[in-house]
Amino acid sequence: MEHIVRLISLIKTPLMENSKTLFKVFAGGPLRVSGQFQIKGSDGKIIEKEEPVFLCRCGGSSNKPFCDGSHKRNGFSE
Amino acid sequence: MDDPRNRQYTNDDITVFWIPSKCIHATTCFRDLIEVFNPGRRPWVNMDGAPSRKIIEVVNKCPTQALIWKNNEDLTTEEKKAQRQVGSGEETPRSLSGQEEPTSIRIMRDGPIVVEGQFTIIGSGDQQLRPTTMTSFCRCGASRNMPYCDGTHRKIDFTDQNTAYGE
Repeated sequence: MEHIVRLISLIKTPLMENSKTLFKVFAGGPLRVSGQFQIKGSDGKIIEKEEPVFLCRCGGSSNKPFCDGSHKRNGFSE
Repeated sequence: MDDPRNRQYTNDDITVFWIPSKCIHATTCFRDLIEVFNPGRRPWVNMDGAPSRKIIEVVNKCPTQALIWKNNEDLTTEEKKAQRQVGSGEETPRSLSGQEEPTSIRIMRDGPIVVEGQFTIIGSGDQQLRPTTMTSFCRCGASRNMPYCDGTHRKIDFTDQNTAYGE
C-alpha cells in the first residue's frame, strides 16, 4: 500500500516542479548540474563557475571536482 | 511531547534515537560515518553499517543531540515497544534554511558531493530518481549504490590531491 501511495505521489509530481536545480547522471560519465545552485569546494570556499557544470564521478579527473574526460580513459562504468 | 517524526534504530547492543526537530545540519554524522548515516537511503540510519563503538563515537559528536544513543538494556518499556525501523515518511538531517536558498552543493574532501535543497535527479537511464531534499553523490567511482555515496571512498583511499579545488 505504501508503495502505491509513493508511486502516485511520484506521478503527481511533474518533472522540475518546485525544483530549481537539475542533476543529470550520465552513464559511465559525469554528473551535470544545471539551474540555480552554489558549489563549495573541499576547502569550504565558493567555486564561481557558470552553469551547467560537470562533476567528476569516476574519481580520475585531474581537475576535480570537475570532469576532464578521464572516465573515457579509465573505463569507468557503474 | 513525542514527535511522530522521531525514529529509533537498533542493533544487538545499542539504540540510536533520531530527533529531526533538533537537527541543525552540522552533517557530522554522515561526514564521519556514511556507512551508517546516509541521507540518500531509507531508512537513513543503517545500524549494521559499522561496529557499535564506532556508531557511539559519531553519535557523541552530534552537536545538538538530534542523535542520541542508549544501551539496549537501559531502554524504557515504551522505548522497547517503539522499537521499529520505519523507512517511509522518514525525515533526514536537513538545514533550517528556507526554500528560497539556492541548492547547496558541497564537495567533501576525499569524499562525496553533498547536495541539499530543491532539486531533481535524472538517472543514467533518463528516469527521475527518488525525490529528496538531501543526498550525497559518489565521487570516487567505486560506490556499489551509484550514483549515491556508500562510503567506499574510504576503503579505496580516494583522494582529491593535485586537483583544481582540492586543497
